[in-house]
Amino acid sequence: MIADEATISRLMAAAQDGDKAAYNVLLSEAGMWLERYFRRRVPPSQLDDLVQDVLLAIHNKRDTYDRQRPFLPWMAAIARYRWVDHLRKVYKHESKEIEDDDAIEDSGEEVTLARVSLERLFGHLNENQATAIELVKIEGLSIREASQRTGQSESLVKVNIHRGLKKLASMVEKAD
Amino acid sequence: MNTSRENMIAGLAQELEPVRPITTRSGLALLGFATLVAFGVSVFVYDFWFGMLEGQASAFFWVTNGLVLLLGIASASALVAGGSPRIGQRENSPGWSAAMVAILPIAAIIALFTGEANHLHEGLNDPVALMCSRASIAAAVLVGFASVMWLRRSAPVAIERSAWLVGIASGALGTFAYGITCPLDTVSHLGLWHVAPIGISAVIGRLVVPPMIRW
Repeated sequence: MIADEATISRLMAAAQDGDKAAYNVLLSEAGMWLERYFRRRVPPSQLDDLVQDVLLAIHNKRDTYDRQRPFLPWMAAIARYRWVDHLRKVYKHESKEIEDDDAIEDSGEEVTLARVSLERLFGHLNENQATAIELVKIEGLSIREASQRTGQSESLVKVNIHRGLKKLASMVEKAD
Repeated sequence: MNTSRENMIAGLAQELEPVRPITTRSGLALLGFATLVAFGVSVFVYDFWFGMLEGQASAFFWVTNGLVLLLGIASASALVAGGSPRIGQRENSPGWSAAMVAILPIAAIIALFTGEANHLHEGLNDPVALMCSRASIAAAVLVGFASVMWLRRSAPVAIERSAWLVGIASGALGTFAYGITCPLDTVSHLGLWHVAPIGISAVIGRLVVPPMIRW
């Protein structure tokens, strides 16, 4: 993120007061941050839709931001929530190449970003659940292809996706 | 940044209106008001038990209603706080408060089993048990309605947790609102039939609330 936490929190407070210019800057910054945040966990073809979905959620729920708290964990919680929802809905058959995520490496706020990252969230799943979600929901393989790739039965792939998504949804607010 | 996103951001900025940030205080006020309404309706239907003010209530009456109120406040606070998204540790005061309230039915069952044989029979065949449970759940529905209203207005991101909290908070506050009109103050009656509605509400909340608050 180009703007630091204090600056972007001030922009959000100004936006809540109706400052359109501040809001424009805030959403642009948020859009860039979200793009990097999601890059490794969403196929490139769906990335912009998801970013716009989160920006719209930020807009609709902007009155739930508490000015006494930092902005980034608030936005990241919404981003995680929309991401899990997106994984539930999206099913693509074509495989997509996933690019490396540089959201953490090129930021000056590593500690905060590490705490709110999607990688951290994904790390709480067991290996079979993470693999099933990764192959079917992110890379876009069919259940049958994922079954062949992993050696899990098709039913087991479905169960692992279902349980994995349920677990992700229950951990949206988790920091470690 | 692509043109589509730029246009979207420009559109959102153009239509921006000032908003008043929602506060924990306003959420708690809403739930508190709903509890007062539930209390008012309970008093209207069942009459206020003045005996409690005249020293007729047993200690267990105060302990039970006090613990139930504490659980209601703890879970309502957690529910309201959950309306504002954030990543980080949440306090588990509802869990500890629920554990304290769970002592009550255990105490009631121990008292029933260790008392005289007819005590057990009385406890399980309490003639007003169903009425108390029904009235508590009816009062809980009022508080639950306000809780769901609050969550729909805010932005819960832990849907299951919020649904449990709706059930527990509304169950506890509803039971409290009705409970202080109930003149039966025995261990078996309060420990069983004024705690069961909280568990029932919690399960109903978990099953019914998620589709209402998902956004």
